[in-house]
Amino acid sequence: MEDKYSSNVLSRGKLGMVEVPNSRLTRYIVLLVVTKVLKALGIFESYDILKVVHIVQFIFILKLGSAVVLLFFQKPFSSGKVISKRQWIKLLKHAVFSCVISLLGFFGLTLCGPLRTLLLFEHSDVVVIALLGVLFTSSGGGPSKTRGAALFIIAVICLLLFDNDDLMAKMAEHPEGHHDSALTHFLYTAIAFLGVADHKGGVVLLVASLLLKVGFHTASRKLSVEIGGAKRLYALDNLVSAIVLLPWVVVLSLTTDSKVESWSSLILPFGMIILSVTILEFYVEAICNTKMETPRCARYGAIALFLSALLLANFWTHPLTDQLRSMSKPPQQVSTEHVLSGGVIVSAIFFIMSSSILSSPSKKGQKGTLVGYSPEGTPLYNFMGDALQHTSQSLPRFIKDSLKQILEEYDSRQIFYFLCLNLAFTFVELFYGVWTNSLGLISDGFHMLFDCSALVLGLFAALMSRWKATRIFSYGYGRVEILSGFINGLFLMVIAFFVFVESVSRVLDPPNINTDMLTPVSVGGLLVNLVGICAFSHAHAHAHGGKTCPSNDHGHSHHGHSHSEHGHSHGGHGHGGHGHGGHGPPPGSAGGGMNANMRGVFLHVLADTLGSVGVIISTILIRQFGWLIADPICSLFIATLIFLSVIPLLKDACEVLLLRIPPEIEKELNSALEKVEKIEGVLSYRDPHFWRHSANIMAGTIHLQIMAGVVEQRIVQQVTAILKDAGVNNLSVQVEKEAYFQHMSGLSTGFQEVLAMTQQMESMKYLNDGTCIM
Amino acid sequence: MLPLSVKDDEYKPAKFNLLLKLSGWFRSILADKTSRNLFFFLCLNLSFAFVELSYGIWSNSLGLISDSFHMFFDCTALLAGLAASVISRWRSNDSFSYGYVRAEVLAGFVNGLFLIFTAFFIFSEGVERALEPPDVHHDRLLPVSVAGLLVNLVGIFVFQHGGHGHSHGEEGHGHSHSLFNGSVNHGHAHGGHEPESKHGGHGHSHDGHAGHGHSHDGHAGHGHSHDGNGGHGDSHSHDELRTPGKGASKQILQGVLLHIIADTLGSVGVIISALLMQKYDLMIADPICSMLISLLIGVSVVPLLRESIGILMQRTPPSLDQALPECYQRVQQLQGVYNLQDPHFWTLCTDVYIGTIKLLVAPDADRRWILSQTHNVFTQAGVRQLYVQIDTAAM
Repeated sequence: MEDKYSSNVLSRGKLGMVEVPNSRLTRYIVLLVVTKVLKALGIFESYDILKVVHIVQFIFILKLGSAVVLLFFQKPFSSGKVISKRQWIKLLKHAVFSCVISLLGFFGLTLCGPLRTLLLFEHSDVVVIALLGVLFTSSGGGPSKTRGAALFIIAVICLLLFDNDDLMAKMAEHPEGHHDSALTHFLYTAIAFLGVADHKGGVVLLVASLLLKVGFHTASRKLSVEIGGAKRLYALDNLVSAIVLLPWVVVLSLTTDSKVESWSSLILPFGMIILSVTILEFYVEAICNTKMETPRCARYGAIALFLSALLLANFWTHPLTDQLRSMSKPPQQVSTEHVLSGGVIVSAIFFIMSSSILSSPSKKGQKGTLVGYSPEGTPLYNFMGDALQHTSQSLPRFIKDSLKQILEEYDSRQIFYFLCLNLAFTFVELFYGVWTNSLGLISDGFHMLFDCSALVLGLFAALMSRWKATRIFSYGYGRVEILSGFINGLFLMVIAFFVFVESVSRVLDPPNINTDMLTPVSVGGLLVNLVGICAFSHAHAHAHGGKTCPSNDHGHSHHGHSHSEHGHSHGGHGHGGHGHGGHGPPPGSAGGGMNANMRGVFLHVLADTLGSVGVIISTILIRQFGWLIADPICSLFIATLIFLSVIPLLKDACEVLLLRIPPEIEKELNSALEKVEKIEGVLSYRDPHFWRHSANIMAGTIHLQIMAGVVEQRIVQQVTAILKDAGVNNLSVQVEKEAYFQHMSGLSTGFQEVLAMTQQMESMKYLNDGTCIM
Repeated sequence: MLPLSVKDDEYKPAKFNLLLKLSGWFRSILADKTSRNLFFFLCLNLSFAFVELSYGIWSNSLGLISDSFHMFFDCTALLAGLAASVISRWRSNDSFSYGYVRAEVLAGFVNGLFLIFTAFFIFSEGVERALEPPDVHHDRLLPVSVAGLLVNLVGIFVFQHGGHGHSHGEEGHGHSHSLFNGSVNHGHAHGGHEPESKHGGHGHSHDGHAGHGHSHDGHAGHGHSHDGNGGHGDSHSHDELRTPGKGASKQILQGVLLHIIADTLGSVGVIISALLMQKYDLMIADPICSMLISLLIGVSVVPLLRESIGILMQRTPPSLDQALPECYQRVQQLQGVYNLQDPHFWTLCTDVYIGTIKLLVAPDADRRWILSQTHNVFTQAGVRQLYVQIDTAAM
């Protein structure tokens, strides 16, 4: 509540969060990040140490060391109130629990390796509580939180399933070497009982202990109040747990023989671990939690921690770092390091995203901007503007909406279906390639995926062009279609150029191609692309059919496309026919700027088809006759063909972008302008600008000079009607009477212009009554 | 009643003389400083590419040949810039009623797109190589890349210096006047120096360059606004001739400069990685270098692309974003104005804004006064061409 009133009315900040200027917080953030990096370092170091030191001993040393330091700093006995006996018992329970949790955590560390432990175990309480809230309560906090929870779960699953760590599998085969004590043996058998592999058991263990830890922290809050502060509790807790662990350690060190050669060499790493993992982190987090909001602190900390963990995991085993660590590192080097697999990276990214989503404060009650107080004293909010746009949107609903939009219209539907087909083909190819381990197939699959980007661009443009006009884009987004067509065309040109260069260099030096894999793949690609050509050429003809244009070219091209046997010559031919229609002067060129987007996509598909055909032909030629030169020549030919077929599209798009008068209505416009001049009362016109904005918006502006005594409104209506008949549907007419120029001469219009205009009018023997006005 | 068709008759016969046309182009290239710089640099680049190609063919080295083709591809950017700077100075005709000034925006856009493509290709190649570093022969790499670096450094120097000297020194002004005298042949270029419109242009140019970090461009805009006034006085019925000769090349220059900087970065990256490979045998240096460079290129191109896409899509000029609502308010407060409809404002080319609005006025309002006042309001905001359609409210 209080922050609602403290929020400044002028500062437009969102309600609920008092925005502290970032500059003041920077040092805390830097401190936090540094601490987290140090912590990651400490965890990595402790993983190395845990290979030699027994886990219970390790934890004992850790607790003892931090207890000593904390006692020194915190002085829990000399300050604060006296602790009663009941509180001592509670403290003992608390310490036992914390020992168990650290045991589980560090045992997970030995199983999973430092990176995975950091990813799984070191989540802030805020994140986990938000996650549990989403999972187990009905009001999780909106779709964004749900998204975060889904990401979190996906990340865990990624670690569980897709993390094929070879070394872990190797270790799992002979885990006997690690069975030092009853405890580890017990844990191992428990994991084996679960029936999962070793490191996967570790993942499960870590998740369980993470939940335990969060529950433990929440439960210990009350105790910390009783004892007198979290810091005091922490210090006492460390001490008590060290005492609890003491008998066990004594027994252990008596019964088993230690693997450590010299404890003295371990002092430095232990000190570093104690400092970074337990003490520094605790204090810094406490400071940051008081200075910033907890969620924000959690977010920065998590991101820093995960990123540094990823980096460290990459460089920890690097020979360079080995040199650096050689003095402080225990002298052992078995090749059992956990590798950085793709699954881990993916899950790390997901973890980062999910923790930043989950730790973002919930949006309730802060959508509006406080604009003031009503006379009754209740706050008034402004829900306009940014606040509304920033509300999180449910992802499934978003997908549903955009799908509905896509399927609404013919063009985007075609593109979408073809995109799906293409993607399916690509994925089949990729999977098959991965399965048979063929590099050629995989690279071809990626190439196909890249080609899909043109389709995606087209789809996006088709969607975007239907957006409503806004204040900023006052004519609407229709031009996106033309831009997308232009980009696709340019793209094709670049590709054609590179293919050309490549094939020139291959003509000079024909390489040896193995042709066995090529044919089935290229035939498959050809089939897919033929389907696309059929679909899009249909759309093409359809779009043209909508406009009433009596042109033979279209019938021809349509006819040509409906044959689907010899794709190569026919494709080029059909398109050539169209291109001809495109820039011929007769009115048959109604398709000139019609839908550049679809044309671009069509050309792209056509180019792909030509590519497949070329590959097939050259494969056949190479196989039959052994002409190795057939391949580059084919590609030369195809590159030229693509190049030529793109030119009309580019030319049309350029003309539209350069604001040319649309060629298809040029004649009508001229006759319309003649008609305008003949309207009674119109002296002349100047600056007639007409240009096509998008497929269905034709904009125009014109200045009219009219006689003094004529009603302007009538003239404007007449002119608008005439030009609307000619196809201009977004017109603005500025009507000028003579006196206007007297005004304008004092402003920005050139004096010469006015002079010329008045001279012209005088010469036409019209009354100049403008002088009497002003 | 201007006889529009007469012009067409004049234009048609002079179509065939290719030599004349070429020499005309050549002269117009040399007339302007920007295009002259572009042209010389293009020549330099082309000759370098040819030398590389012939040497490659002679020594039969595939790497050199492919590199020279790459250079040719790079030249297309320069060529696009050059073509645009020539085309954008063509007079407007019946079909292109605004003239060809938009060519420069288009050239900037194309250059930006090419750069994005290049960056993408380099990035994917870098990823591929990072996964399995190939054996690079670095024996011939170093001299070629050093030579390329030198050429590109010359380019950077020329273009930055060009833009610089242009905008600040007196030279820029004298030059631009001579341009107008030379190509348009109108003596009274000074006629149109109105303080108000100059002021508008100036104020805008300060806003305009905020996004870029090219502080010189902003000043070039100032120089340009002079030009605009100069050109503006010379035509009787063609308002569009106000369009600039000089500051226009902002987009082109930016695109070309970015391209050259990208090339330079590429050469530097190659040199560094070659050195690293030779000295320390760090094979992974090459892909990492190329990925970094491609990222850098990609990031640096984004502002250019965003701006040019905005212009091409007839976006409301960002520099007018703040001023326009105030202008609307002022117009609506004029006596007799009921409402303001369909405001469209867009950028024709650098610093030339065009707007159309419709006003709904009372039947007894003084239309002429409203018209001139409206023009006044928007001219102060920096809109060069305004079309106001005044409709009477049906009562």
